[in-house]
Amino acid sequence: MRILIADDESMSRKLLQKTLERAGYEVTAVENGRLAAEQLCLADGPRLALLDWVMPEMDGPGVCREVRKRNVQSYVYMVLLTSKESKEDVVAGLESGADDYLTKPFDPEELKARLRTGLRILSLEDRLIEAREEMRFQATHDGLTSLWNRGVMMDLLGRELARSRRENVSTAILMCDLDHFKSVNDTYGHATGDEVLKETAKRLLASVRSYDFVGRYGGEEFLVVLNNCKPPFALARAEEIRRAISQKPMPSSSGPVPVTMSLGLLLSHEWGFRPLEELLHEADVALYAAKAAGRNCVKLASPNTSLVAPEPQEQAHIRMRR
Amino acid sequence: MPNAIINLTELLARVENDRELVRELLSIFKDEFPGHLQALREAVDSMDGDRVTAEAHTLKGMLSNLAATSAADAAARLEQLGRNREVSKFQEACSSFETVSKDLLQQLDVCMPEVRG
Repeated sequence: MRILIADDESMSRKLLQKTLERAGYEVTAVENGRLAAEQLCLADGPRLALLDWVMPEMDGPGVCREVRKRNVQSYVYMVLLTSKESKEDVVAGLESGADDYLTKPFDPEELKARLRTGLRILSLEDRLIEAREEMRFQATHDGLTSLWNRGVMMDLLGRELARSRRENVSTAILMCDLDHFKSVNDTYGHATGDEVLKETAKRLLASVRSYDFVGRYGGEEFLVVLNNCKPPFALARAEEIRRAISQKPMPSSSGPVPVTMSLGLLLSHEWGFRPLEELLHEADVALYAAKAAGRNCVKLASPNTSLVAPEPQEQAHIRMRR
Repeated sequence: MPNAIINLTELLARVENDRELVRELLSIFKDEFPGHLQALREAVDSMDGDRVTAEAHTLKGMLSNLAATSAADAAARLEQLGRNREVSKFQEACSSFETVSKDLLQQLDVCMPEVRG
């Protein structure tokens, strides 16, 4: 664990440094408060600090105030070292943002015990941050495939459409659906079905650029958003994605499973300022057209040669047979 | 050691019996103490309360680290006088401090071979 020592008096610095190094700490020692504040406010700066009270340029309580004011990302546990021991001083030190204080000359065992308290607090913070990040991940990702979930995809797509309209470029929306997925589940079982979904997610991610978005839209339905996609290449890129799925059977614990995918493609610039939900509906209509055309193909949604949406009854029929 | 100014037993306990560290601390002290003592004397002579407080504070810290309690107390007294601006008491307190310091420096020379053992 790294620790910062700030003391203008060289004997104290040496004494602290040796005591802490012996206890296994990695020590950074500075001789004034300004340098201490700079170090502690660095993104990867030490998270544990022993600060002398009286120092040139900035005193210990000043360092505590500065660090708390800048609200650095990780919590910094700060202990004031002082030869002052009046009640008012202790209160002032803690009010400045210090977590603890120790009176000089210090007892090495007490010093180490107090720092262990600091380590407990920091490890508690680490665990809380980890839990928060885990929850954030779960709230934004699909549990099975770890792709973005539907809610996040709507948000990302909405923002991307606004940006592409501002910059007068096109966003490609790909509504993708695995063909006859029900029969995969029926033939190989749901566990294999899940493996196929995971492999599909992997292949989709591998066939787009790092700044494109891939999400799970529903059961076996995926949404791919190609940002700033040049219209002449959009169809070719959709074809690449289709081939990435169908080219090789999906490996699974039940053996290789051949799978194909149908895709409905929509290029945002062709649709003016139509709302997001409408664009998704049009992409879905194009997907139905691809299913109706025999599956394992890409159909483009175009406002000029508008695809005829299947009748509601037929639509439901196709959906069932996907 | 009778009338010891530096409590070597306490000092060794504080450094977890690291004699090498004691030698380093004594060496830093020998190098830096005279300069601070002189700065204190100048601050006292010019009746500069802030500087008396600051120098006495530094000296107090150094002496505490060496477990030189009586000398640290004398420095603490000067620090308090400086803080309270009791200028009339500066000279007398500084002289007492200088007397203790003289004894201390003499003791240092005795201490050095001891910690070497």
